Amino acid sequence: MFRQLKARFGGPLAAAILALLGIWLIVMVTLPQLQMIDYSLRPNLLPAQLGGPEDRWTLTNYVTLFNNEIHRAIFFKTLWSSVLVTLLTLAVSYPLAYYLAKLASPRQAALCLLLLIIPFWINEILRTYSWFIILAFRGPLNEVLMMLGLIERPIRFLSGDAGVMVGMVYAYILFMVFPIYNAIESLDDNQVRAARDLGAGTLRTHRRIIIPHAKPGIATGCIMTFMLAAGSYAVPALLGSPGSRWFTQIIYNWFFEGGNWNQGAAYAFLLLILCIGFMSLVMKVFKVGLGDIAK
Amino acid sequence: MDASVELDRVVMRFGDFTAIEETSLAIASGEFFSFLGPSGCGKTTLLNIVSGFLTPSAGAVRIGGEAMAGVSVNRRPTAMIFQNLALFPLMTVFENIEFGLEVRGVDRKTRRATSERLLALVALEGSGPKRVTELSGGQKQRVAIARALAVEPRVLLLDEPLSALDLKLRQHMRVELKAIQRKTGITFIYITHDQGEALNMSDRVAVMSAGRIQQVADPMTLYRSPQTGFVAAFVGENNRLEAKVIDRQGERVRLDGGALGELSGRATAPTPLANGAAAALYVRPEHLRPVAPGQGLEATIEALHFEGAWVMLETRLAASGEKLRVQLGHELSRQHLEALRPGQNAHFGFDPEDAVVLPDDGGPALDEATGEVVEAGHV
Repeated sequence: MFRQLKARFGGPLAAAILALLGIWLIVMVTLPQLQMIDYSLRPNLLPAQLGGPEDRWTLTNYVTLFNNEIHRAIFFKTLWSSVLVTLLTLAVSYPLAYYLAKLASPRQAALCLLLLIIPFWINEILRTYSWFIILAFRGPLNEVLMMLGLIERPIRFLSGDAGVMVGMVYAYILFMVFPIYNAIESLDDNQVRAARDLGAGTLRTHRRIIIPHAKPGIATGCIMTFMLAAGSYAVPALLGSPGSRWFTQIIYNWFFEGGNWNQGAAYAFLLLILCIGFMSLVMKVFKVGLGDIAK
Repeated sequence: MDASVELDRVVMRFGDFTAIEETSLAIASGEFFSFLGPSGCGKTTLLNIVSGFLTPSAGAVRIGGEAMAGVSVNRRPTAMIFQNLALFPLMTVFENIEFGLEVRGVDRKTRRATSERLLALVALEGSGPKRVTELSGGQKQRVAIARALAVEPRVLLLDEPLSALDLKLRQHMRVELKAIQRKTGITFIYITHDQGEALNMSDRVAVMSAGRIQQVADPMTLYRSPQTGFVAAFVGENNRLEAKVIDRQGERVRLDGGALGELSGRATAPTPLANGAAAALYVRPEHLRPVAPGQGLEATIEALHFEGAWVMLETRLAASGEKLRVQLGHELSRQHLEALRPGQNAHFGFDPEDAVVLPDDGGPALDEATGEVVEAGHV
């Protein structure tokens, strides 16, 4: 890497770039993480006890999760709900990405992309609040549904999983649409035409030709959406509480309400392990490597 | 099985642009039929209409006598070989060939047997488990043919399938395609801008220009008796001399070539040639022969291109200043050839049987720089 940079920018500048990169990776990424790992492996002690005989490494903080039934339930519920969010986002995004990549005229596609992107210029909290308003018990959505005669009494969307699902699908849709859009766009139209010509209907063409081609994009989108969903704090806090609690809220509580950073760090790492586990699983299922995803 | 294809007053418009003028055509069952024309002439549009990718603005398509209106691409008895082949890169050769059968719910065993048989037909035995990305250009070509044949189409549509191959392979594949067509008895509709391909393989050729079929004929007739200026200029090479009709007796037409004196040739088009009307005489370079001084057309040799089997002379007519290309072949002795030098004057004559007289339609001309046909009134 140094050689390439040197060829391009000359020796001193190349060295400076690498040094900055190194400092950033070590000081700002690796060291804080190591610090957190260290925290998570030590008991939560009073200042006076620090450095004392009790201040040694232990797995107690990690074991806490498995002994606390409520936390355990929330942990698995976060896992399951994040999977559900990912699947829902995929279901919404795939047709949209396909439309954008293959069916829409350039003008339609540009307009559609703009409409997708503009809301993301607004802060996530604000966007989530707007869903809070839309989904409220006496909010516009219930009003419209009742006006249309579809429901007789308002539905309680908020403070439960439904609100969280809606909010998250909305919050993360772009992270799913774009990778899939990119993947489908690179598909040669003649592939689809050939499949049709050989007798394949729409469903089979998607299943055998388009989806396999879009697989790296789908995997990337799923991984990103899952990570964001599992690590989300604002959406469940605003749209789900108190009915639907997310594991991130528990981590937050350990850190800032319980003041127990050691316990919080251990929980945070458990969530990280969960995410990495999910990522590897998805990559295995879709038979894609890290290289495909980075594309 | 009836595998005839019929186009009945088909028209294709895209907005204001008419890609295909009203066209009627009957292609016989089991025929090797080519559409020949420069890019943009509408030949691919016609192919897409037959395959069902496009719905004609007017008119009907019938395959085996059955109307194809409302029959979608995946239900037509046609299969297409795409210009870029469009093999499925994520599948093996077997999976590619068997795709159409899989769609039709054919069981695995029968599928495999069919693909083995087709691989043998295209001389690719043993390549089934390979990925298509591992194959060479010619092998991919064969897989594409096998994949299209697997669905037992009545009509095989080929969209310039050989254009990506190098010359040797292209010539080899011509022979193979023709052999496969004979073996299977399927109607082949072949699209190309390469006249060599069209003349070499086809039973009949339709020459297209600007959305219109100019002439449909067997290759020999097309070459010997072009019926429009476009066909005369596009198929093979032709020298075009402008003249006026003196009189006509049967096929033979006498012309007043102005400074060139009296010329004569054969009328090939059904259009009448009135006495005194403007006409064009087309004579191919290979039909010109050196003649004794005082006869034929006098021309100055400007350049001489030795091509091995023949020599191409670029000359300029002394009387009119027009260019005249002359191709001299093996029948000339060495002494004769060595006597031809740039700057020298020579006389060239031709048998009126070999010259074609057509009404001067002001039609397409050849771009002198590139040698390509410029289509009149088509942008």
